[in-house]
Amino acid sequence: MTGSLAMHMANELLSMPVAAATLAAAAGVLAVSGLRARRSLDLEKLPLMGVLGAFVFAAQMINFALPGGLSGHLGGGVLLAILLGPAAAILTIASILIVQCLIFQDGGLLALGCNIINIGVLPALLGWGLYRLVLGPVARAPAWRQYVATWAACTVGVAGGAALVPLEARLSNVLLIPLGDFLAVMVGVHLAIGFVEGAITFAVVAYLRRARPQCLGLEGLDESRNGRVSRRAVAVTLLATAGLLAGVVSWFASAHPDGLEYSYLEHKYAGAEKVVRDAEPGSAVAAVTQWQERTAPLPDYSVRPGEASGSDAAGQSGEAQAEADGAWPNVDGWGSLAGLLGTVVTLGLLYGLSRILGRRRPVADQP
Amino acid sequence: MHHSHIDKFAQGRSVIHDLDARTKLLGVLAYTAVLISFSRYAVWELAPMAILPVGMLLLGAVPLGFALRRVAILSPFIAMVCLASPLYDHAPAVLALGPWRLATTAGWLTALDVFLKFLFGVLALTAMMCTTPFALLLEGMRRMRMPRVLILQLGFLYRYLFVLLDEAMRIRRGRDFRGGRQAPAVRRLAAVGGMVGSLFVRTLERSDRIHVAMCARGYRGEPHSLSHLHFHVADFVFLSGVAAYLAACRWAYPLLLKG
Repeated sequence: MTGSLAMHMANELLSMPVAAATLAAAAGVLAVSGLRARRSLDLEKLPLMGVLGAFVFAAQMINFALPGGLSGHLGGGVLLAILLGPAAAILTIASILIVQCLIFQDGGLLALGCNIINIGVLPALLGWGLYRLVLGPVARAPAWRQYVATWAACTVGVAGGAALVPLEARLSNVLLIPLGDFLAVMVGVHLAIGFVEGAITFAVVAYLRRARPQCLGLEGLDESRNGRVSRRAVAVTLLATAGLLAGVVSWFASAHPDGLEYSYLEHKYAGAEKVVRDAEPGSAVAAVTQWQERTAPLPDYSVRPGEASGSDAAGQSGEAQAEADGAWPNVDGWGSLAGLLGTVVTLGLLYGLSRILGRRRPVADQP
Repeated sequence: MHHSHIDKFAQGRSVIHDLDARTKLLGVLAYTAVLISFSRYAVWELAPMAILPVGMLLLGAVPLGFALRRVAILSPFIAMVCLASPLYDHAPAVLALGPWRLATTAGWLTALDVFLKFLFGVLALTAMMCTTPFALLLEGMRRMRMPRVLILQLGFLYRYLFVLLDEAMRIRRGRDFRGGRQAPAVRRLAAVGGMVGSLFVRTLERSDRIHVAMCARGYRGEPHSLSHLHFHVADFVFLSGVAAYLAACRWAYPLLLKG
């Protein structure tokens, strides 16, 4: 169970307008976070947030065996928000995501904006806000309150961030997976991940209560029951997670979730994009998408001849029909064969060139 | 664990290694933007898009197997999303190649298309990172006016990544040797809390020590770098070549296909 890795948005699920808008939004949030973090840190100490980013990578190596042969580990975003405050946490997580994208190729370059918002900004702000809300006055918070606050912050923060992935994919109009199904899967899986995240985060917080209470803004040690949580608190959060999970899955997976979703399913074959776009005619994204379609030299193959037939009929007569008119997609088979052969030949030439260059100039060891 | 795990090809020399870091960054960014601008049913139109990433890998002397292993490690999430697509989009479609015609559904075309884009995108990024040392890439990003604080922060993350990973591995090995796996779940969870918590405290203290040491060496919030970046003729050739190639892939080739 790799909570931090599983929901990295990929380039391929995004359209250019959505990627550009989220990149701009992420850059704006980072600038504001930088200004806010400067209030508590010197300008020259700010880059050392990077060392804490390395800490998160390292903490992810420390695994915790779960029942059923699974293994969980910390994602770390909400923990950073609890320990450092949202501004510093957002900066740190952003640097982690950039390194994950560049060095480990996890999450695309153009999807960075989405990832910073989904994994950094939203979990940090939502998690930190909930944590402070549930915790009440920080200085002498009892352990059970800290436990419930941590659980709420992690569950809602992680699942909330994951819920943005289907929304961004939907706005980008790349996949035709119904929004409700995609949301149910993402939110459901991440509620479970968030629960594990909450348990580990609280274990860390409980250790810090004993070892470094000032990290949490506590006023020194109180009594011996520090960090111990009653079984009732654990049982309540476990039940609440199960309830949320059941609620989300049944709500999204029901036959007629809501009007927009229903109409979208009804008209699945009759221009799905159109239904979604008409539902929000004034939105900026729709305008940008329309602009993109007008200016793009080759817009989507949105008009498909011979597809207006009903869903079941299309399945049966589909093959014959497609064979008959061969109209969609309107691609000449010979053209694509020529293109494929051309690509292979080009790559062959490049290979030969690389061998010649390689012989002349071998890959040297580090000087 | 050392940086050579992720960096072993970046230190070599080749025509691609010798290009300026900014050239490669701009080229790969433009390539990715063009890649995701293709329609969701474009399968054959994507074929020539393989040339740039594979070409960079070949000319940069990066083993293709290494790059493909990276793709395999990263693919589970995208594969899940791709395989969901045929369940929902049943509109009939034809995949034609020469004399062969395969009747299929639009959902499968989308799945294939998204996976190809993912494959090419990851290969391009891998090609860039395997031919550019990270420090040079950061220097290039700094020259491209990215915020200095962010660049420094990324530099610190990279510098201390393996120091702290090693520390975490030592802590983990210690727990495993002490038989930590047999303990009841609550104890194991508490142990993980202690491990991560003490790592956090140590990291905070370490970053304070780093800061003091840097100040003692004359650090005043400005990085000092000996690396030089220059645009050469090869960079202009590469960039104009990429621009022409991308234009041909995006506009000329699909027109050719449509006849």
